Amino acid sequence: MEKVVEIEDEKYPELLKKIGSQAPKKLYYKGDWNNALFNNCLAVVGSRRLTNYGKRITEQFVTEIAASGITIVSGFMYGGDEAAHSSAVRAGGKTIAVMPCGIDLIHPAEQEELYNEILKNNGLIISEYEGKLLPVSWMYAKRNRIVAGLSKAILVVEAGLNSGTLITTGYAKKYNRKIFAVPGPITSEVSKGTIKLIKEGAEIATEAKDILKFFKIEGLPMSHKNCATSEVARADSLEQAIINQLKIEPMEADTIARTLGVSAAKIGTTLSLMQLKGIIQQEENKYYII
Amino acid sequence: MLIKVGSTANLGLETIKVDVEVNLASRGLPGFDIVGLPDKAVDESKERVRAAILSSNINFPAKKITVNLAPADIPKEGSLYDLPIAVGILNSILQFQIPDKSLFLGELSFDGSLRHTKGALLTALFAKEYGFSNLFVPKDSANEASAIKGVKVFPIENLTQLAGYFLKRKNIEPVVYKEILNEPLVSAEFDMKEVLGQEQAKRAMEIAAAGGHNIIMVGSPGSGKTMLARALPGILPPLSEIESLEVTKIYSSAGNIPAGGSLITRRQFRAPHHTASLAGLIGGGSKPHPGEISLAHRGVLFLDEFSEFPRYVLEAMRQPLEDGHLTISRSKQRITYPADFMLVASANPCPCGYFNHPKKNCVCALRQIRKYQKRISGPILDRIDLHVAIAPVDTIEFEDNQKKSQIIESSEAIKQRVVLARQKQEKRFSALGGFAPSGEKAIQSNSQMKNIHIKKYCKLEKDVENILRQASIKFQLSARSYMKMIKVARTIADLEGAKEIAISHMAEALQYKSKIYESA
Repeated sequence: MEKVVEIEDEKYPELLKKIGSQAPKKLYYKGDWNNALFNNCLAVVGSRRLTNYGKRITEQFVTEIAASGITIVSGFMYGGDEAAHSSAVRAGGKTIAVMPCGIDLIHPAEQEELYNEILKNNGLIISEYEGKLLPVSWMYAKRNRIVAGLSKAILVVEAGLNSGTLITTGYAKKYNRKIFAVPGPITSEVSKGTIKLIKEGAEIATEAKDILKFFKIEGLPMSHKNCATSEVARADSLEQAIINQLKIEPMEADTIARTLGVSAAKIGTTLSLMQLKGIIQQEENKYYII
Repeated sequence: MLIKVGSTANLGLETIKVDVEVNLASRGLPGFDIVGLPDKAVDESKERVRAAILSSNINFPAKKITVNLAPADIPKEGSLYDLPIAVGILNSILQFQIPDKSLFLGELSFDGSLRHTKGALLTALFAKEYGFSNLFVPKDSANEASAIKGVKVFPIENLTQLAGYFLKRKNIEPVVYKEILNEPLVSAEFDMKEVLGQEQAKRAMEIAAAGGHNIIMVGSPGSGKTMLARALPGILPPLSEIESLEVTKIYSSAGNIPAGGSLITRRQFRAPHHTASLAGLIGGGSKPHPGEISLAHRGVLFLDEFSEFPRYVLEAMRQPLEDGHLTISRSKQRITYPADFMLVASANPCPCGYFNHPKKNCVCALRQIRKYQKRISGPILDRIDLHVAIAPVDTIEFEDNQKKSQIIESSEAIKQRVVLARQKQEKRFSALGGFAPSGEKAIQSNSQMKNIHIKKYCKLEKDVENILRQASIKFQLSARSYMKMIKVARTIADLEGAKEIAISHMAEALQYKSKIYESA
């Protein structure tokens, strides 16, 4: 049985209808259609080449936002989209994936696990195409209008110039939706898009509260942060020195060893123990404070 | 008239006695035949022997000469039977006495002189074991053979000299073994102190060298992977006498000892290119030959661009990585070569090489990266104890951040710790029988420990075990990784001279868990 919502249906999302002639006539979907899902939607989009920084920021923002009951909408691509969906699912929040291809196709196929997770958590998979239609490049760009159209606001974590993300924000601007951009280092290739957005008047987001305020929701007190600080309090002097370094920027073990003038063996030992205590976290060789 | 001359045949590293029976019949048409499964090189020996005898101003007998290489059912190969055949024929002409308990081997040149011949060491070992007191070999191979004490090794220059000796007109002094450095004086291309930064990788190298652990380095081009690997020989412990003999045996059988060479006293560093064939890397061929993994026995096999090696070639290394030896099976023979080597691999993180590079942009799609990283199979990665990520070093940042308090150690300083750690391990495992020939139980280093050894020698205190348990939940370590961590921690403890594995050792070991090639 084909699950589909047509534009004349009552169930059709109001906000999406407002984009006028560009609104898709039909929306095929997987999962349970629940109109409450469309009340408060935030599009979270980012580069396919998300850096570790972008990934961490996405996780941090989305976890808090999704936990507050806002639906996270994204395009199910790897990188930024993937991080947004999976963080939402992990936070027990709601999320909608807008596919660029036929509704019966999982694309990219590697993310089948995430696809099932979304459905299991009462999320929704939607597409304007039926069957197993394969995606072609123009369909990705077109899909982005649905992502923007469904959402009251859009959060851009990282984006290159000439990226699909900027296409989405272009639609958002056209539809008069709020745009939030997270600043990043100006030297980074995937910060150039967000910086451009900020220059053009996008609102700067530095914490989840900035977005929650827009949705008029009070932020939840994050409980896990408190326990991390208590761990930090128990750290010994070398650990404290490492924490001070990592507060400035994430670093590799070698750089920490060099800056602190401690042997690699000692640093290695300390870093492992700090990881086990849950003070720091390693990703792609660099250490971060949780 | 029948003359018997003793020689040997080397089947892989095994040696058997071969009797070279030379029969000169007065009846029949003059001719020269060799029987007893000779290969092409042995068969051509007829021409070399004839020319060599004529060049020595001795008349070649116009008789029907038949040579039998007994036992007749074992295939003989190579040029080493030239000398025994020539001695047999000369004997019939000159009527001298061949000393009892003598073995001969050597390739003849047309001018009657003898050329360097492979396998002299193996024959000398055989001679010692079976009580042959005289060994006649080419002068160039004599030093190699004389490493075995208790056998008189006569260096033969040419047939005239040998005939003179047998006719008691000349004297030939047995060789006294001289150690000659086959390799250049400096063992490594680079000193560890020349490698900029990479503190953690250097430390990992130290641990690898101390415990004989396999190690893989993943990093962008130009980050120093190859340099680190090339600096490794400088921190390896020296070969023990027994190990040295083991290694030299393999090299001798492969003909890799240079003329006039002596025992190999240094751990070998083999770095085959990734276009190496299966037989070249693992060993084999229709006449089985040791491969790179055997030539790296007790040394290092460095595979640069690990993921560029054909998959089937890498997979073939699984068994030798586990067992420390490799059996090549052919329909007619089975040959076992030892292959107990330390694997050092280096790989790029993605096809373009710049995945996660701080400055350069990676141009690979995620899918390509995943595919690329899957080229190295799980079972192979599982057999590698230490995983290190090599980050590119920014020279300017490096200069700025380098603290004076941090000492940059030279290879020599690191080597001293490595040697001490190895001694500890040897002492620990000596109870197990140490160097049993190809014995299952023989282990020398921590990396070779099997689960029963880990249970016996790596007792973990409660709190140390807790750390490991926590880590295995947090980092989702497999059962094999769990054991690997204990082995690595044992080596770190040995480096520090500690008797028991402490929390700090275990924590450091966790730094080298497999993280690369799994997360992406």
